[in-house]
Amino acid sequence: MKGRILLSARNEILERLKAAPKKEIPVRPFMPPLKEVALGRDELADRFAEMFTAETGIVYRAKNNDHALETLTGIVKREGLKSVMVSTDEVLAPLNLPAWGIKIDVKVMSPGDFKGRDDFKDAVFDGVGAGITGVDFAVAESGTLGLIHDRDQARLISLAPILHIAIVPVERIVPVYESVVASVFEKEPFPSQFVFITGPSMTGDIRGHLFKGMHGPRRVIVILVG
Amino acid sequence: MRVSTEQFTELAGQGVEKARARPSLKMVPHFLYQKREAGLATLPDAAAAQACGAAIRSEALSRLPDLLEEFEKNAIANGAKVFWARTAEEASEYIVKLAKERGAKYVIKGKSMVTEEIGLNGCLSEHGIEPWEGDLGEFIIQMLRCPPFHIIAPAINIAVETIRDLFMARADMKEPTVDPVELGWAARLFLREKFHRAEFGVTGLNMAVAETGTIINLENEGNIRFAKSSPRTQVSVMTLEKVLPTMKDALHVMRLLSRNCSGQKISAYVSMDSGPKKDGEIDGPEELVIVIVDNGRSRIYQDPRAREALRCIRCAACLNICPVYRQIGGYAYGWVYSGPMGQVLMPLLLGLDKTQELYRACTLCGACKSVCPAGIDHPSLMLYYRSLDVSADIPAAHRFGGKKRPWKEALFFKAWSTAVERFWMWNSGISMVRPLMNRGSHRGVIRRMKGAFSGWFRKRDFPAMAKETFHERWEKIRNIW
Repeated sequence: MKGRILLSARNEILERLKAAPKKEIPVRPFMPPLKEVALGRDELADRFAEMFTAETGIVYRAKNNDHALETLTGIVKREGLKSVMVSTDEVLAPLNLPAWGIKIDVKVMSPGDFKGRDDFKDAVFDGVGAGITGVDFAVAESGTLGLIHDRDQARLISLAPILHIAIVPVERIVPVYESVVASVFEKEPFPSQFVFITGPSMTGDIRGHLFKGMHGPRRVIVILVG
Repeated sequence: MRVSTEQFTELAGQGVEKARARPSLKMVPHFLYQKREAGLATLPDAAAAQACGAAIRSEALSRLPDLLEEFEKNAIANGAKVFWARTAEEASEYIVKLAKERGAKYVIKGKSMVTEEIGLNGCLSEHGIEPWEGDLGEFIIQMLRCPPFHIIAPAINIAVETIRDLFMARADMKEPTVDPVELGWAARLFLREKFHRAEFGVTGLNMAVAETGTIINLENEGNIRFAKSSPRTQVSVMTLEKVLPTMKDALHVMRLLSRNCSGQKISAYVSMDSGPKKDGEIDGPEELVIVIVDNGRSRIYQDPRAREALRCIRCAACLNICPVYRQIGGYAYGWVYSGPMGQVLMPLLLGLDKTQELYRACTLCGACKSVCPAGIDHPSLMLYYRSLDVSADIPAAHRFGGKKRPWKEALFFKAWSTAVERFWMWNSGISMVRPLMNRGSHRGVIRRMKGAFSGWFRKRDFPAMAKETFHERWEKIRNIW
């Protein structure tokens, strides 16, 4: 019975749409490409950093992974962080953050340490001072991070803590969104969620007064590696 | 939500008074408009980009039934469930039923216009399930029980003192403050608990991509990402015109939507879901339900002209530039949508008879049309509605519930069109009307008039008619030259 009602609403709507008068499909006008398309590796990194900073993001440059870890240590000390939640993505894996945490006496947690969703949520909402993630892409066009959410990249790590630190290998910077999406949606199964993150969360809902740090992070820090 | 589209004039008057009392209120649309200009300037050819947006939306509407079928097929292949609702009630009742079945104590909501349109919050409350709006502006107006003042900044008009008192009473704020940042922080702390414990999330969406079965949300605050990450069940509600052919099209619309809305190159967060979470993922919904709402749109779609109103991508550029919206604010429009986009959409959704003043409260200046990234010709649509409304006997007018004008008005315009089309009638008419018109004139200005036209003079005057027409004068002076 339920199935029948469902089907009939669907068919009724679609049939009505199909019976309507047809209209022509217009020709798409020519659009010149964005200038980022022509940028080389170093220019892309500069452009990304420029755009990311424009959204109050903070960028550190690191020559290699060791240098990146040193930078990270500096950040963690300055911020006085006691515990962090980290992803297990392929950018972070070679950094071996759990070992780094023991060395500098910071509690490093990742989703695999928890029995399930609820325990993980308790920790990521209330138990950590920052979320650390790698990125799948970074887009020079607007200083945007691109994250594929999967078992190694939980959604809440880049969202719930007040500070988000992202490790961005320079070779993952692409010129425009199209470069990202072509590869994310190249073949099925598609990721359950893909996000573009551009700066901290923000709002202007009270009298148009803009400020960062509404529900998501108040600050986003990027360590550009390479 | 109460519909008060029939009290337009009264509410517009109140809006003007309020704006006079607080001039800063009028600055918001200007500010957003300037940001928009700067945002569009970052594109190599803004005009071409806008035209391309219009072409994409036009194509999406032309191929609507096919795209919807393709989207549904791919969304199901991704693991999502798809529910079709003919009406607002069907959609709301389905969501309430689902929330009950899942044992949800409350529902966390991401900002969405469609859930306002279908009256979801009221329906949830009636069934004892508390809806919590996650967007700061929506959260404020939900507790104040106000309609949205602006489609993207619903509480932009609310005074900080009001928000302070509200948060002290209802959002566990500890110390009174009028600082927007601290008020925002108080809301963050209060809503954080709701996001944390949420088991059932409801969002709208900006785009549904046929090619991949993906749904896309743009936002700045993070409320939508939370509603799609924390709960076990995610319901995303869309009206059926949200579908776009390809991911590439969606990226272009994303660029335009962000820029036209707030001048940003891209909103802080863009999230794209293709099905529920996969095995081994610790957060994200275990089930993703997409509700496709018709609510009158397949009927609107029958009319190829009126259909154009469905191109809208809800960027609010037309509100910010509209000289009428800038004066009266959002409440006068009487329902969920406001400004020019509301003036072209609500008459179709609610009926031409119930929105008489909405499509007449327009000077046809065309500012809205000039900024629209979807290529909607608002002034033409409003003229079209006016024509349908006065000729209530044609089938298209029946579809949208047109209502005939009073017989005196109809008769006047009949006589008018007869006269202006005939040279001799016009001339003799002028000489007959001139003394009547000029009777009340003072120093060349008519300030009031008795009878049928008195209303026009309530807030306007009119120059007195010249003693002679141009042709009469020309006859006299032509020999001098």
